[in-house]
Amino acid sequence: MCKGVPKGDNNNGKGGIMQNMKVIMGNHALSYGAKLSRVEIISAYPITPQTQVVELLSEMVGSGELKAKFVNVESEHSALAVCISASLTGARAFTATSAQGLALMHELLHYAAGARTPIVMGVINRAMATPWSIWTDQNDSLSQRDTGWMQIYCESNQEVLDSVILGYKISERVMLPQMIVLEAFVLSHTSEPVEIPDQKIVDDFLPPYQNPYALTPSNPRAIGAVTSPDFYMEFRYKIQKAMDNAIEVILEEGKKFQEKFGRYWGLVDSFYAEDAEIVIVCAGAYSSTVKYAVKKAREEGKNIGVLRIRVFRPFPYEKIREYLLGKNVIVLDRNISFGAGGIFYQEIKSALFGKKKTKCAGYILGLGGRDITPSDIDGIVSDFLKRKKFDDIIFWGLKK
Amino acid sequence: MEEKIKFDKLEDYPEIPISTATTKHNKTGSWRNLKPVIKDKAAPCSKACPTNTLIPNYFNFFIDGNIKQAGKILTLHNPFPSITGRVCPAFCQTACNRRKFDERISIREIERVVGDLYLPYKIEQRPQTEIDKRVAIVGAGPAGLSCAFYLRKFGYKVIIFEKEEKAGGILRYGIPEYRLPKKILDKEIEILEEMGINFEYKKELGKDIDLYTLKKEFDAVFIGIGAHVEKKMMIEGEENFISGSEFLKDVSLGKREPPGKKVAVIGGGNVAMDVIRTLLRMGANPVLLYRRTENEMPALKEEIEKAKEDGIEFRFLILPVKARKENDKIVLTNIKMKLGEPDKSGRRRPIPIEGSEEEEVFDAVITAIGEESDRSCVPKEILGEDGWVYADKRTGATKIEGVFAGGDFVQGPSTVVEAFSWGRKSAEAIDRYLKGEEIVKVEVPEKTVSFMQIQMEYFERKNALRPKEIPPYERIKSLEIEENPGFTKEQSLEEALRCFSCGVCNFCGICYSYCPDAAILWKENKPEIDYDYCKGCGICAKECPRGIITMEKEE
Repeated sequence: MCKGVPKGDNNNGKGGIMQNMKVIMGNHALSYGAKLSRVEIISAYPITPQTQVVELLSEMVGSGELKAKFVNVESEHSALAVCISASLTGARAFTATSAQGLALMHELLHYAAGARTPIVMGVINRAMATPWSIWTDQNDSLSQRDTGWMQIYCESNQEVLDSVILGYKISERVMLPQMIVLEAFVLSHTSEPVEIPDQKIVDDFLPPYQNPYALTPSNPRAIGAVTSPDFYMEFRYKIQKAMDNAIEVILEEGKKFQEKFGRYWGLVDSFYAEDAEIVIVCAGAYSSTVKYAVKKAREEGKNIGVLRIRVFRPFPYEKIREYLLGKNVIVLDRNISFGAGGIFYQEIKSALFGKKKTKCAGYILGLGGRDITPSDIDGIVSDFLKRKKFDDIIFWGLKK
Repeated sequence: MEEKIKFDKLEDYPEIPISTATTKHNKTGSWRNLKPVIKDKAAPCSKACPTNTLIPNYFNFFIDGNIKQAGKILTLHNPFPSITGRVCPAFCQTACNRRKFDERISIREIERVVGDLYLPYKIEQRPQTEIDKRVAIVGAGPAGLSCAFYLRKFGYKVIIFEKEEKAGGILRYGIPEYRLPKKILDKEIEILEEMGINFEYKKELGKDIDLYTLKKEFDAVFIGIGAHVEKKMMIEGEENFISGSEFLKDVSLGKREPPGKKVAVIGGGNVAMDVIRTLLRMGANPVLLYRRTENEMPALKEEIEKAKEDGIEFRFLILPVKARKENDKIVLTNIKMKLGEPDKSGRRRPIPIEGSEEEEVFDAVITAIGEESDRSCVPKEILGEDGWVYADKRTGATKIEGVFAGGDFVQGPSTVVEAFSWGRKSAEAIDRYLKGEEIVKVEVPEKTVSFMQIQMEYFERKNALRPKEIPPYERIKSLEIEENPGFTKEQSLEEALRCFSCGVCNFCGICYSYCPDAAILWKENKPEIDYDYCKGCGICAKECPRGIITMEKEE
């Protein structure tokens, strides 16, 4: 057992009062999360596989069950513009998108972070065109890693719902926007039992949004005006400070959430990682498959563990060092940065650089929704154990 | 907020990039080389109106629901809008910029409604202070009444001498009841009396009073006795004819029996139209005899149209050359005409066709071939070389100091609105004269806003509203039915809203909304340019829907 590891990390998502269970899709978990967070403005443009998120929300708004304004727009660019504007006036704003829609938002993703608007957005991972695909991989959300948004990668529908509520709490404290990321179809269209928390408890946990800089007609201000070189850099520094601060806030709010709802969500999710000799690092819903394979391997006496990265931005350097330094590390990437390799792999390596000697290899797999199976995980572990060179960009499961 | 942003230390920074100070220290107005100027200009309708009534200006107050102010502005130039709102040929409407867009505004109908609604408040124009000077006005017709109204408003003591028993002149004794109800006229006269104007009736110039005595007894004199002498046809037997203006006067005094069943009306002007339409309403079967064709008729198109709708028979290219009385009937000898080359007036000259004479029997014949003023009642000193009264068009000043004249008396038969204009201009000139100022006031002509200066994008096409007229078969039944029922208040508001308000700011706020530098301020409900910050981009001038903002060179 590694010392100093909070108990929470191997306890992610466990517990809860298990009342008011509903079998719902990941997309609807986002909708319920938004509804329970009492969002005031919803603006989104439909794209597969995200469409059901806003369909359900529009029904909730239409029936009066959710008192929010639903703004129809002609593009994702406008959807985010609406959310930013609303947020600047002090409203709690929600949107959701996927792949090309997220890419179309790109310019405004920077704006949202720069203007420090605590928007929460559901991002349903879908592989980028072209060629066209509607199936999952993480390149769409990871392409936006430098925009100043926090990114939370979910493994279950319960985590999706909880992360929306937690998301507003955290974002509004640190004044940064946040993406709640889930995988296309694997979560978005797959039904799981989800506890729908009691609204009163949610209200108690998440008070109405108070924007100290809210624009009002009586307090007209300019936002984001031209800033000369004399002044610009400090604003960037402040965003970085907010990201730094977010690490603490995520842990704090995770504990508070656990007190209210019984479930804990932290920065990382450890599955036998504490004492493992080989740790497989992954993120997203396919982590369940990895965990399944690892559990089997453990039963066979192999000393393997899993570290699921839940929070990718801010990047939990300390946690990663705590779990991975001196270990044999396999990083799985359902994404690729062409010319550099798996994105998680690079980040993990940078976290471990210059510290204790650590053996680390990266595998790229499951792009465009290709299945990741337990035998893939077994195969990767075998490959890793045989491997002499670790810096290659390894495509796993490629046709030969 | 602070005047200037000061971020010296990290802690000075706000968490989000929000303005913590204004940019007012940066007076961007210095970047400008052209400056926008907000200034009202003349609307083409106002310019076309003989009285120069500020039409869009009073419309705007009317639209705002301020009848008092609307009426006040309207009567700055036109003393009796209730009257012109009924009988004016509406020169304004022919000049309306909106004609090039869809249809002209029904200005006259709106004027009538505003004029009528303003009547209860009009008495507020009685003078606040009295001026101890007396002005005599001869003739209580349109010119005289107008002159009296303004002089009294300025504070002068005004006495009107009128040869008839009642005031109004052509308004009472010429224009038929179905076009101008007497009760409107009576109300206007009543207001004039309440304002303190004295009327002396049965006083005829040249008989009961004379100009030199008036000049001696009063500080100034205005003559506006109109033109009521029927021209002669210079043909044999014309002593059997009835004068058109006399006929209309008799009707106004209560005569209801037509002079016969089959009546010939000779002429083609507005009086001819009034006479013949009156005859029809009295039950006669009148026939119009005119020596040229419809194209050359001097009557207003609108009047000709209405007479035709009434079902009146027009006979063109026909001229009576002889008449004789035979058993209470009149036998007219008519000659057929043809049109030759255009004459001085631009109309084609009628030429008799030799040997085409024919006789026709009528119960009566009424002439309406034009009127002249009677100059025998004034001294020769006042006449010009042509034998007409000479008066300055801008002031009404005659060749005799302190004596002013205007209206039909000076210019011959014309419109009511022109007489109103003469009356007002003379009143203003008399005011200046009595204050010892220059009589002629030189005014810089205002630029008119052209159609090209209207930003059409701001307007929707919508045709003009028109009053629902009483159908001809109904209106010809009586002389007492006012044939044009006019607009309701709601209709006139709807129609007034079509107005472009050319050159007259109606505080639409487009400039305020469009200025990218917030350099248009909204002060006391109107736009004002903040030259400290205006960069002179010209967007306001380009976007102003009604041509009020123009870009001018910086000095």
